[in-house]
Amino acid sequence: MTVLYAILVGVAMGALIQRIGASSPRVILQNLRLRNLSVIKFMATTIAIGMIVNYAIDAAAPGVMHFDIKPTYVIGVALGGLIFGVGFALGGYCPGTCVVGVGEGRKDAVVAIAGGIVGALVFTMLYPVLVDPLIKPLDLGKVRVQDYVGLPPVVLALLIGIGMLVLMRALPTTPGRRAGS
Amino acid sequence: MSPTATMSPAPVTAPGSGPLLPPWALLGLLFGLVGAASILLFGPIGVSGTYPRVIGALFRLFDGGYAEANPYLVKMGALLKPETYLVLGLPIGGFLAARLGRGAKAPACEMVHAMERSTGLRYRDAFIGGFLIVFGARLAGGCTSGHIISGIMQLSVSGLIFGAAVFASGIATAKFIRQEG
Repeated sequence: MTVLYAILVGVAMGALIQRIGASSPRVILQNLRLRNLSVIKFMATTIAIGMIVNYAIDAAAPGVMHFDIKPTYVIGVALGGLIFGVGFALGGYCPGTCVVGVGEGRKDAVVAIAGGIVGALVFTMLYPVLVDPLIKPLDLGKVRVQDYVGLPPVVLALLIGIGMLVLMRALPTTPGRRAGS
Repeated sequence: MSPTATMSPAPVTAPGSGPLLPPWALLGLLFGLVGAASILLFGPIGVSGTYPRVIGALFRLFDGGYAEANPYLVKMGALLKPETYLVLGLPIGGFLAARLGRGAKAPACEMVHAMERSTGLRYRDAFIGGFLIVFGARLAGGCTSGHIISGIMQLSVSGLIFGAAVFASGIATAKFIRQEG
């Protein structure tokens, strides 16, 4: 059953990514140049709705959610994010959006996946060298915001989620057009 | 000419014209529900771990000794995880959404930077971009879906650090690269 659920989640995710335009490198670059915030606002809305629903279910039925928190090893997570951002702006793809792009018939997405496979191979071979300086130090473990803030997670999720939704509603979707008129 | 007359490119975003949400809000709402449903059904969405699992599967076929000796391939485990099926669903969703949508067909090769003067140069950027996003994501332990979308919707600290690093570096890189045309 899990296999079926996972495929269905993937199909839905692929369709939503295609519809918002996130599988288009051109749209990604418009977002990173802050000319069109459609994908950024889409992602923030996704996160806000997701956190509210996640913690509402968790509060109503503790233990049913399959939460899986990634460890916060500060150096590797931050450095990995900085490297990721350069590749994101250069190619205009994420590891998932290029797979969606292949379904749309994009050949540069196939090339991005090839680059990703080589990147994974190089990381795999370098891992024994990188683990001590970058992954083991400053490892805070699988921490969440509620571990630092004395509020019930559902209250925290509502506060942050609603705050994000209000902010996204206030932000213009195409700031460049307004300035250019 | 009134500057406000041209502000709204899509009719659905016009305030007060109807109950429809702008595309980013509607699609974000749906993706938020899909993300929470995924955690309820089997676990958070993620993509980039599949790349090294493919590497591991290839090593097991051709050089099983290395697959057992490399600590990262051991840590990432076998290929057939729910996440792998999710990744298989992505191009199906992208294909269906592109076919059923009214938009123009996606270009096979989409230029995003002024320096991409030929298809070959675009493929170079897509390849290097693909390399960096997967290398960075594996160093950080997740990508846009695993760290930013599912991570932050579970209120994980690692997702917040990764997201801040990706957008800081992505926006800076996009501004630094000479803009298109």
